Amino acid sequence: MQFSIYIIAECNMKLMTRDDKSLLYNVGGKEGVLDEEVLLLTQQLLSSNPDFATLWNYRREILLHLETVRSEDEIQRLYEEELSFLEACLKVNPKSYGSWHHRGWVSTRLPRPDWARELSLCERCLSLDDRNFHCWDYRRMVVRVSGVPVDQELQFTDRLIGSNFSNYSSWHYRSTLLPLLHPGSPEAASPQREPPTSSLLKEYELVQNAFFTDPNDQSAWFYYRWLLGRGVCVCVCVCVCVWGFSTNSEVILRCGYRNALYYKSLTHLHKICDLPPGTISDTSNEHNLTVHWTERHTHRDCALYTGRSESWCRDSATDLELFRSELSVEKSSVLQSELQSCTQLLELEPQNKWCLLTIILLMRALDPLGYEKETLAYFQTLKEVDSMRTSYYSDLCSKFMIENTILKMEYAEVRVFSLCEKNLSTLCHLDQLLLVTHINLSSNQLLGLPPQFAMLQCLEVLQADDNAIENLEGVYHLSKLEEVSLRNNNITQLSDLKILTTCPRLARLDLRGNPITQIANIQSQLAELLPSITELLL
Amino acid sequence: MAEDESSLAEFEQVDFLKDRHVRFFQRCLQVLPERYSSLETSRLTIVFFALSGLDVLNALDVVDKPSLIEWIYSLQVLPTEDQSNLGRCGFRGSSHLGVPYNPSKGPGFPHPYDSGHVAMTYTGLACLIILGDDLGRVNKEACLAGLKALQLEDGSFYAVPEGSENDMRFVYCAACICYMLSDWSGMDIQRAVQYIRNSMSYDNGIGQGAGLESHGGSTFCAIATLCLMGKLQETLSERELNRIRRWCILRQQSGFHGRPNKPVDTCYSFWVGATLQLLDVFQYSNFEKNRNYILSTQDRLVGGFAKWPDSHPDALHAYFGICGLSLIGEPGLRRVHPALNVSERAFEHLQQLHRTWREACT
Repeated sequence: MQFSIYIIAECNMKLMTRDDKSLLYNVGGKEGVLDEEVLLLTQQLLSSNPDFATLWNYRREILLHLETVRSEDEIQRLYEEELSFLEACLKVNPKSYGSWHHRGWVSTRLPRPDWARELSLCERCLSLDDRNFHCWDYRRMVVRVSGVPVDQELQFTDRLIGSNFSNYSSWHYRSTLLPLLHPGSPEAASPQREPPTSSLLKEYELVQNAFFTDPNDQSAWFYYRWLLGRGVCVCVCVCVCVWGFSTNSEVILRCGYRNALYYKSLTHLHKICDLPPGTISDTSNEHNLTVHWTERHTHRDCALYTGRSESWCRDSATDLELFRSELSVEKSSVLQSELQSCTQLLELEPQNKWCLLTIILLMRALDPLGYEKETLAYFQTLKEVDSMRTSYYSDLCSKFMIENTILKMEYAEVRVFSLCEKNLSTLCHLDQLLLVTHINLSSNQLLGLPPQFAMLQCLEVLQADDNAIENLEGVYHLSKLEEVSLRNNNITQLSDLKILTTCPRLARLDLRGNPITQIANIQSQLAELLPSITELLL
Repeated sequence: MAEDESSLAEFEQVDFLKDRHVRFFQRCLQVLPERYSSLETSRLTIVFFALSGLDVLNALDVVDKPSLIEWIYSLQVLPTEDQSNLGRCGFRGSSHLGVPYNPSKGPGFPHPYDSGHVAMTYTGLACLIILGDDLGRVNKEACLAGLKALQLEDGSFYAVPEGSENDMRFVYCAACICYMLSDWSGMDIQRAVQYIRNSMSYDNGIGQGAGLESHGGSTFCAIATLCLMGKLQETLSERELNRIRRWCILRQQSGFHGRPNKPVDTCYSFWVGATLQLLDVFQYSNFEKNRNYILSTQDRLVGGFAKWPDSHPDALHAYFGICGLSLIGEPGLRRVHPALNVSERAFEHLQQLHRTWREACT
């Protein structure tokens, strides 16, 4: 049989085929096969191919067998030789999964392990390549098994970081050690936040030293961002709705909620319960309901008024600080002082993208509306300085613009949402627009209205002129929608508009400046498709 | 593909030398130099790089498909007569163990140390698909039993049943195997998903395991696994996805690197590029700089790509360099399926196969 592939290799291959049959075929209790001679043979093979998993396993089998027939001192010697052999292997290939894995196993078998030796091996390895994750992982294992105290390891990272700030792996290790020393508050046990401890403030100082020394080193900035954000994201009930409908003789009052943070499905609310008949009496003008979410220790109130068949109650984005919860833990005084430090650095290094990104993040955490102008200016600089990611930053900027508009809307307590001329390439946070009645998306670069748009259940007027919209899949089951303006977009055929049939109240539709207007008979086709429309502009 | 003659003289040569790469992969399938001997136990993965590379280059016609199919089938660890080795079935990396040649006709040869390796089972199946085989001689039940035996409590996988290191790479291999065989009974999906979630790091990348450093390769393995399972949106919230997108997009320096503060390396143009593609944000990366870097590592004499400019090319970097170029739409290359890491053409063949299997059941 002709193999299509073959390898030219050295004597190690010949060794295998010559001895392999006797070695590996005759194993299994036969005397003399699980012994040191075999260890020697497999050693030669593994020196040139340390990723031969079967051979490492075979060695482990031999060693385990020898453990049962040798004295403790002999076993100690055996395993120490194994460690020496492994060091030689690692010198040749310090990134071999097989070698590190085997060393890990050997360390746990030694009658008298020498953890100091293992730690010093790690140090030597890391001094040659401080990003060798095999070595880091091995070190972590040694620390865990030998019980090195966490603060001692923290000091180890102090040393490494102090000698070379640009050491991503050290910062990473630190990030796993810190939470062990300072566990965060239990998940949503209380809405209060822990005041920053002095050790956390020292941590900030350490990181600041790092990025002041070398602002172009990413590692400190990533760690910094993580530090600032070490808060718990609390699940909350975003919106509670009570609504009534009658079926034959009964009036049913149903209570539901929608948790927009994890919103996946389109339009339906999660039903909580049907209120027992007689709950709502005619004598009282107002009924108050509270929904308790015991698992998350949170609740939401809702009031139903006579004469209204439904009532929505929700937290505003402001209360939830939804947009800020990237950096939720710290008091604003701490964030403010961090912002000052970064701004100082920016004066020295005006082109540093990490600094710009962090400043933007801090500004959004502290006061997104107050810093809006500066944030937009910094974004402009960021796009110039890090031109490789211009479109990514545009996308990010769109998101921030939408967030700010949501906040402004809530402060003004209106239900009108205007996002004209904001260079939007994308829509997001639609779950925050549940109560909006009028929305203006004109003069942007939108290509479509995504499925999440259907969340705007209270929407009455939609204006989206001067975009590039071809897709209306989100304009679905909007039962209050009366007016839609889509001038100068990219609606090309009747099927694009089919979805509007799900909006029974739609009376006014403006399609001027769309390719669809060129189709012959389009007026009558539309009249047939959407009979509820009284005012159609083509 | 050819640039203007005049501009060639002025700028770095950025033309893609397709024919050289075809010959490079052809040579990989014939003879490998001595320094590849340490990869003997993973020879099948090299075959995968060469075959899939030729597929993406639209040059599979240079390959003797029937012979290769026979050879791949000879690597299958089949159940023995008494079926006592089901937990060790799968595919081997090569014939290094000396088990008698058997192109999957008849029962397996009993051998105390013969077992499949999860990465070889994955690449073996992928190669068969690429070669247009219908997997008729694959013992699916045995492969899946062999796969099941490899999964640990924490959801990750060993490579071999006797034990080895366990990490995200093998989770990905397992997912590909289940996907290709259209049968997820080979793994506990919930546990695997949990392992992935536990491997998310503080900086929003994904490591090889819990508490481990984020890495472009393991991030790809995790995201691609979730996509193959169809559980991306279910497992990760939009906020988490945005954070992962951010980590990934910041990996581009010219080409891509795998971890912050490391030098760029050609293969990450695929690992990170494909992840960005799966997360719908690849279009925000800079195609020109990416392409220029990949082509700077092209070996103009021998063909293939290296990890860095002025280094020796190898099969892995040649393959992923070409995949990286395919992602940005280099003309003349087939599109690559970003999760399964085969050409769209091979992927369609797989879909067709699945349809045939479904119809046979009804």
